Amino acid sequence: MPLQPLMHVQTSAVGVVSRRGFLRTIAAGAGAGLLGWKDAVTLHADELRRQGMACILLFMRGGPSQFETFDPKPGVANGGPTKAIPTAASGVHVAEGWEKTAQAMKDIALIRSMTSKEGEHQRAVYQMHTGYVPLASLKYPSLGAVVASELAPKEFDLPHFVSVGGARANTVGSGFLGMQYAPFVVGNPQQMPTNVELPGGVAGGRFQRRLGLLEDLEQDFADAGGKPRVEEHKAVYESAAQMILSPRLKAFDVSQEKDAVRDRYGRTPFGQGCLLARRLVEAGVTFVEVESNGWDTHLDNFTRVKSLAEGVDPGFAALVGDLRERGMLDRTLVVWMGEFGRTPRVNANTGRDHYPRAFNVALAGAGVKGGRVVGATGADGADVKERPVTVADLFCTFCQALKINPRKENIGTLNRPIKIVDGGQSVKELFA
Amino acid sequence: MSYPATTWRGLSVLATLALLGAAHAEPPQKKPFDRKAPVRTAAAPAPVPRASLLKSDAWKNVPLTPAQPGEIDALVLKELKATGVTPAARTTDEQFVRRVTLDLTGELPVPADVAEFVADKNPDKRAKLIDKLLASDEYARHWARYWRDVIATKLSDRRGMALAHSFEVWMTEQLKKNKSWGEIARAMLTASGTGSYEDDGKNGALFFLLSRVGTDAANERAAETSRVFLGIQIQCAQCHDHPSDVWKRPQFHELAGYFARLRERPVRDGQRLVGYQLVSLPRGEHQMPSKDDPKRGSVINPRFLDGTAPRPGLDDVERRKSLADAVVAKGNYWFSGAYVNRVWGELMGQSFTAPVDDMGPQKEVVFPEVLTRLAASFRATDYDVKALFRAVLNSETYQRQIRLGESTDEHLHFAAAYPSRLRADALWDSLVGVLGALSRPGEADRVGPGPLGMRRFGLEGAFKEEFRFDPSLKADEVEDSIPQALILMNNPQIQQKIRASGDNLLGRIMKSYPKDDDALRMIYLRTLARKPTDREMQKCRAYVTSAGGRAEAFEDILWALINSTEFQTKR
Repeated sequence: MPLQPLMHVQTSAVGVVSRRGFLRTIAAGAGAGLLGWKDAVTLHADELRRQGMACILLFMRGGPSQFETFDPKPGVANGGPTKAIPTAASGVHVAEGWEKTAQAMKDIALIRSMTSKEGEHQRAVYQMHTGYVPLASLKYPSLGAVVASELAPKEFDLPHFVSVGGARANTVGSGFLGMQYAPFVVGNPQQMPTNVELPGGVAGGRFQRRLGLLEDLEQDFADAGGKPRVEEHKAVYESAAQMILSPRLKAFDVSQEKDAVRDRYGRTPFGQGCLLARRLVEAGVTFVEVESNGWDTHLDNFTRVKSLAEGVDPGFAALVGDLRERGMLDRTLVVWMGEFGRTPRVNANTGRDHYPRAFNVALAGAGVKGGRVVGATGADGADVKERPVTVADLFCTFCQALKINPRKENIGTLNRPIKIVDGGQSVKELFA
Repeated sequence: MSYPATTWRGLSVLATLALLGAAHAEPPQKKPFDRKAPVRTAAAPAPVPRASLLKSDAWKNVPLTPAQPGEIDALVLKELKATGVTPAARTTDEQFVRRVTLDLTGELPVPADVAEFVADKNPDKRAKLIDKLLASDEYARHWARYWRDVIATKLSDRRGMALAHSFEVWMTEQLKKNKSWGEIARAMLTASGTGSYEDDGKNGALFFLLSRVGTDAANERAAETSRVFLGIQIQCAQCHDHPSDVWKRPQFHELAGYFARLRERPVRDGQRLVGYQLVSLPRGEHQMPSKDDPKRGSVINPRFLDGTAPRPGLDDVERRKSLADAVVAKGNYWFSGAYVNRVWGELMGQSFTAPVDDMGPQKEVVFPEVLTRLAASFRATDYDVKALFRAVLNSETYQRQIRLGESTDEHLHFAAAYPSRLRADALWDSLVGVLGALSRPGEADRVGPGPLGMRRFGLEGAFKEEFRFDPSLKADEVEDSIPQALILMNNPQIQQKIRASGDNLLGRIMKSYPKDDDALRMIYLRTLARKPTDREMQKCRAYVTSAGGRAEAFEDILWALINSTEFQTKR
């Protein structure tokens, strides 16, 4: 009898026990360990998600210099000492330090003509995550929450949106879309998330007993008028318990990968974060954000970007390559971006300052044609010369790749209808 | 956690221990909840909302006198009768002491508090307890945190958090001195100078204005002034005339005009941001961008929503003083209405309008006569904060038992209290009150500048970050989250304290109460501030018999109670 619901799990398209009665079921002795990791992954992750799509956002917090990443300007004063290197895509050059990404360029497209008005970190980070500028009384949902709300399966035992490497306090949350789509924050990708492991002495049947006891002891408060609240509380505890007991939880454990795979991504927090992102998407998570910090290079720009790129280049390239080899790239959008670019002029501290007027973004997968370059800055890099792309345009592009209707309205605070993206047009030439 | 000298907990440790014995000697109560008290009469399947729009006459035609005892109850009962809703029964003493203690101090009463209160034969004991709690430092701290959260949880820009701690300290002082709400609002609107993480409240009033920084600060400050002090959401009118209310676009920008000359300057210690200076520019006016071409704009002079405007030629601070005059003026009903709506909503679990900070005027108000009467009383007492608390807390309306409707979003029309979630600080303090200090040595209560604003370190910081919610949300919109559940289920520091060993709560209880029933009652009193029901006793007894050992069983029971809905609910 206790095994019955779990047999059902193995054949269910959504891969989880239905919520109702879950605490009861696991309290009765079924639960963890009975369903192997292998069984769980045989449920194809892309069948779990609507339209099979997923998205991985690689976010360079601080604002990466376009000159030292994917829009180098060698030979002009503004370009600094940075050299350009050829890539696997003929005619496309990127900055030195990105050799591995350069080799993957047949799968990666560049937008060199991003432009916005927000030159302050917080406002720009918010805009690049939500598509909207901050408003005093309305919290817009971040891209991850929007994508999760559009694409994630209803029943799933891991969070839909995982944010890796950032701090909880600085993460743009799910805003008015609610907790269901809030980012689940993993600080260190090389450790299991906090509080998912059962405390010593509580593993095995005892945790299940505790859950059963909890349900029993909620009864009187529920009867005394608290029932709807108790039901909501229970639903969240069921989700949390499902996650703790899920065989998919192992997706968070990058140490299960072979050394060669881990080496390929780079043994840095960011590289291992990219590997974690791939594992999570493979397990059915809809949106993963991996953060790289420290791109605010007001001082010593060239040395610092060089060392930052050493962390990001292998991770980015390995992620795109690995997704391609596993047949997942067509259904996974990978986005590399920061909140803005940096000034063409090199300042007195050999640094570059904030510059939203012209910056670059890289995209791969989900129908994006690799090797393409959209837009261009002028020879001195000061302005967008061709095909300006706004933040709203970029968000429409994400929507096109992920097959989401950008004009769909969600109901925000005070019952205001809020479009997923307000204005803008998709950069269609990336797909044709 | 330490209790300063003026704490309401006057009992010594010995007296507490004596009372613990007394509590345990009492016969167990059969019904801590009144299960049968009906909310509705049989004839009325669902209450018809008695809500209406508030015209300015409705505010005016109310006696400008302090509300007399019983007056609010009479108004509520009249409305309930017309609606066909039967009010819930009065709370038991046990229920009341938990609710009012959480409402006023954000802490759980300890078993001694409950026992002492229940045993007290004085018919005025509820009023006395209310006075005692209102005189405590915990009251001031709890409500200061409420206002901090009102301002802070809407922030999408973390730089605005820089002065949050300073504000908490400052606001605590204001409430402790029972400064009038008019004075407090005035201080926030006219603040100037420098505030930093470290100034510990000297200039905490700056937080309100400096929580909004950057290029759009004037607009955001206008929106927040209106939302927080007037309960009016005018920010829709920033871009267009309000679609569902009376506000026109220029009115928004005229309000923003009061903040046109404010700039903020980051204060740094080396590379590290340590605070902000609020700077007044000598001149300059707000621009309302043209709708056709946002790059062009028209100059807008400051003007308050009621049409009054500051004299020409005033400087920035004088102009903001004139704004404060207009906001706190007795003729501005919104100011008292917004405050009353908030405090009532926080205490009853549901406010007169939903959400609490969107009062219209084109919004439906539940029982408008109650709101306008309380607001008039608040004006008549010169915005006396504690007097308003007394008026509400001593009412029978406040002292009724909880109820929920068929779904959590049903408005109860104040026929019963609505069970709402404890805010993060109160839940943390409750947890620490039950389990003892949870922080590791060295991290207890340590606050310091994080990368972007104040942060707390260790488990306390992580806990409060996860459990934080916007107190302006309707109670039914406050959501549980998986990370919250994970902390309470599994966090090693909390688990360590749940263990039945040594000096831990369970270690002490199991040593002092060798009989299972006595120990179970103590665990319930400590965690839920009530005795277990008969059914709960049976369940627990059965669990103790079946689980792997007495200590393990008690640990599991304590775990279950801390993870229960009731533990994190004000009821």
